[in-house]
Amino acid sequence: MHELSLATDMTRIIGNALGRKVLLDRVNITIGPLSGISPESLRFCFTEVARMAGFGEPELVINLTRAKLICLECNTEYEAKDFYQGCPGCGSISRRILSGREFTVDSVELEEGSD
Amino acid sequence: MCDDTIERKVDITTSVMNKNDRFAAENRKLLSEKGIYTLNLISSPGAGKTTVLESMARFFGSRMAVIEGDVQTRRDAERIEKAGCQAWQIETGGACHLDAHAVNHALDHMDLDPSELELLAIENVGNLICPSGYDLGEDMRIGLLSVPEGDDKILKYPSLFSSINVLIINKMDLIPHLDFDVDRAIEECRSLNPDVQVFTVSARTGEGIEEFCTFVESSYS
Repeated sequence: MHELSLATDMTRIIGNALGRKVLLDRVNITIGPLSGISPESLRFCFTEVARMAGFGEPELVINLTRAKLICLECNTEYEAKDFYQGCPGCGSISRRILSGREFTVDSVELEEGSD
Repeated sequence: MCDDTIERKVDITTSVMNKNDRFAAENRKLLSEKGIYTLNLISSPGAGKTTVLESMARFFGSRMAVIEGDVQTRRDAERIEKAGCQAWQIETGGACHLDAHAVNHALDHMDLDPSELELLAIENVGNLICPSGYDLGEDMRIGLLSVPEGDDKILKYPSLFSSINVLIINKMDLIPHLDFDVDRAIEECRSLNPDVQVFTVSARTGEGIEEFCTFVESSYS
């Protein structure tokens, strides 16, 4: 349950980027399947943390990515949201993970009239 | 006249872990300047991290120092000190993981100057999820899985097992009593992480510990 501290880090990053406290309509973030983050826990924590930090009650829009993998048997590149399925080309689970750890604050949308 | 939506949208594109990563880089720089190689040991509670470290303490003696991360108590640090190493306890007071800032603070309190000191082992808080996202500045990340936990844990916790350099399978002395399939665990770990080094050990009986310690030693010397 480290989502509370991550939500706090998110508001710090938003505060630093905007340089001031303004009411927000929407916060857009990206979470990868290997980031170790529970999207629903993060949403729960962020709602409260954002309100207390003076950003109002923005909607948290989460872009859940898939991991990118490359099969070490047949070189097929494929995507997955978990790791139980093997390569769609040959079925092998011998593979290398190319991405999936991302966790970024992408953008925020200010509430109308808040600037 | 700009589109109102575009005007109200502010691009940020920042990794949420950037503050942690800055402290991790600072730790890595400080430790490498001191000639100290650093391990980050991660497992669920009760997998045997402290017992593995006690047996490592007997192998490395004063060449190793330990940072212990626990929610509460100095008990683990006392166990390590008794086994012959300098130990610093971080009590997280509820937090489920160590971060690079907490380690940075611990390093301020430790004596990193003894000429024989060459290895720092950081025992993370027992948890297979939260510690996986936090780089502490380590050179080697070790995931410890004990056989009573079951051989299905690797793919259930891919954020950790895809990020480790070394997998230690501990409590091998219990294998005759359990259905843990060692080959399955290793195959699934390699499916997340083809370069992972695997050691099967029993910290209780000492099986495999010397081989693991010799591997750690050869990683920096």
